[in-house]
Amino acid sequence: MKRLLIIIGKIIVKLLRLLKRNAGNLPGIVLWHLSGHKAVSMFKVDCPIIAITGTNGKTSVTNCIAQLFEGSGNKIIINKEGNNLDTGICSLLLRHCDMKGRVKADYLILETDESHVPVVYSQLKLDTLVVLNFFRDQLDRNGEMETLIQKINGFCKTFEGNLILNGDDPNTARLGRANPQNKNVRYFHAKPYAFATQNAFEASEGRFCPFCGDALEYEYYQYSHIGKFRCAKCGFGDYEPYITAENIDLDKPVFTADGNEYSPVLNSIYNVYNMTAVAAAAKLYNIDQKVTNKVISTYTVNNGRMEKFMLGDRDTTLNLAKNPVGANMTLRVMNEMGGEKELLFVLNDNVADGLDVSWIWDINFSVFERVTRVVTSGTRAYDIAVRIKNSGYPAEKIVVCPDLDKSVETLAETPGKKFVIANYTAVQPTRAALKRYIEKRGGKAQ
Amino acid sequence: MKTLKILHMYADLLDLYGDSGNMEILDYRCRMRGITCEIDKYSVDSEIPDFSSYDLIYIGGGADLEQQHIAADLLRCREALKKAYDEGVFLFLICGGYQLMGKYYRDADGNDIPGLGLFDYYTIAPESRKKRCIGNIVIRTEITGKPVDVVGFENHGGQTNGVKSPFGKVLYGNGNCSQSEAEGYFEKNVIATYLHGPCLAKNPEISDYMISYCMNRGADSPAELAPLDDKLEIDCRKVMLNRLLNKK
Repeated sequence: MKRLLIIIGKIIVKLLRLLKRNAGNLPGIVLWHLSGHKAVSMFKVDCPIIAITGTNGKTSVTNCIAQLFEGSGNKIIINKEGNNLDTGICSLLLRHCDMKGRVKADYLILETDESHVPVVYSQLKLDTLVVLNFFRDQLDRNGEMETLIQKINGFCKTFEGNLILNGDDPNTARLGRANPQNKNVRYFHAKPYAFATQNAFEASEGRFCPFCGDALEYEYYQYSHIGKFRCAKCGFGDYEPYITAENIDLDKPVFTADGNEYSPVLNSIYNVYNMTAVAAAAKLYNIDQKVTNKVISTYTVNNGRMEKFMLGDRDTTLNLAKNPVGANMTLRVMNEMGGEKELLFVLNDNVADGLDVSWIWDINFSVFERVTRVVTSGTRAYDIAVRIKNSGYPAEKIVVCPDLDKSVETLAETPGKKFVIANYTAVQPTRAALKRYIEKRGGKAQ
Repeated sequence: MKTLKILHMYADLLDLYGDSGNMEILDYRCRMRGITCEIDKYSVDSEIPDFSSYDLIYIGGGADLEQQHIAADLLRCREALKKAYDEGVFLFLICGGYQLMGKYYRDADGNDIPGLGLFDYYTIAPESRKKRCIGNIVIRTEITGKPVDVVGFENHGGQTNGVKSPFGKVLYGNGNCSQSEAEGYFEKNVIATYLHGPCLAKNPEISDYMISYCMNRGADSPAELAPLDDKLEIDCRKVMLNRLLNKK
């Protein structure tokens, strides 16, 4: 039966290729139905699997960890396109397996959606799970945060492999206690950076100790609820970090961990955490320090994450923000950029975004510095316009253009720096619209 | 200068789905009219505030876990809160805040969390946590004397029954119960609703109903609020009404 299903799956992949269609998810969906919802159980994987999950930063960390192994001469399989549900992973394995369902590689590096971790890894043996953070994200799709954490916590109760956890996120660090028998739990941690604060100033989760219910005490907050926390009552938060990022200087940007100095390309505290998770994985798998250095100091992203464009001579930066934490960080980066600038915000409410756009009200727009005009677009162009207006930004400086191409033209019609924020399903159409503009009117894509 | 005094309860705990945005909107709409809007905050285990000294009391929605935390604290405030309500202080309640003012909330495991019992309704969560009313919602309310179509987003498991005077009639979505006709609870000084979005985002008439009520409470001759330019809000709502009601 399994063999038959594999053959059917492979035929679908071939057909889609012949039709020049993307085979990222559909073959997996078909197999998911045919296999009684156990799509990934048909594969035989003998090599170690490393899974990366969490609300923000999955794609970056997955790609970096893949580069660590690739740079060390291993054959790896990775879901680069971010097809991170069980059906997407099934489609990936279908493309890489033989007719018996055997997958040949040295390592599988899989970005995995938070809600799909238990589903996928109850069927495939997992060597290491890296958990980056848990933030409010697409609440209506994922259900409330607590439900989501409970799901992964349930999985961790019987998991005996390596757990690499963000020790500065109480929502994540609590997973370290799920299975007291597991001796392979490791935490990464970061010392405060220049903009760390004494008080939280953005909407945050996890103010209470999940074990005893007492309020958590913070030595410092880096951003949102990420920081050095501790429960005075039960001691949750007391752990020996496996790896610590220190001497963080985002102006350069540079940080050290285990005595090694790293100069990442992207200059956010956010990225420091991601790269510290990468360094932790490198340490665990004894990756050559030269390889780790190279990966961390050269890694950058060209898929709408701080991506640069020139619209004619207008210097433009595009960044993905799919939840308030990401958007608040992006606004910070935008403000740190000197001089006047204009913002284009593209907001969609497709199923993958979560149909509920109320998260935009958790973005703190009152921090705007020298933003001279705002253009809004996407299926919810008006919602983001209303949101920004109610933060006190002058309504007459807001232009609503639901049509994406028109919004890019409107943005580019005035001189000066431009910043573009797009949410999940908006980011690729926005990139395409920016490129169309460049093709027509001149400029440069990165 | 006139002042509108708001007490925002449990802002640090009940703030799912951007509900704090409602405060930002009320503040904005007061400011644009030269009304000072003072927003105080109250959270668990603090000294019981003088509820009667406020014009409006606001409670947002939260995750189930946090709601239990709050129910016990709220019971402590019952008498003072009820007195304020009897004196005409406005209560604006979203989702969890709405449920907790009723008789009780029965959670998915069958445990009753006692409510404040200010109103007769009660809420029962379905046994399956997967059964939730989630999605865009449109209701028609007549609280301002004219029909207003209010657009928001609902996300609740609890089914609320025993509502005598609902906030509006459901045109799209679920409302108080799965596929029900009525949404929320209304009295002249109470709006209780499942609508997030936040609720006031594209429904300026509702904001202004509350501001007007508060500013005119106790006044001999009610004064009209100065009109504001709500073009963005109205257009925003129009887009959603077209999308939701025309496809039905």
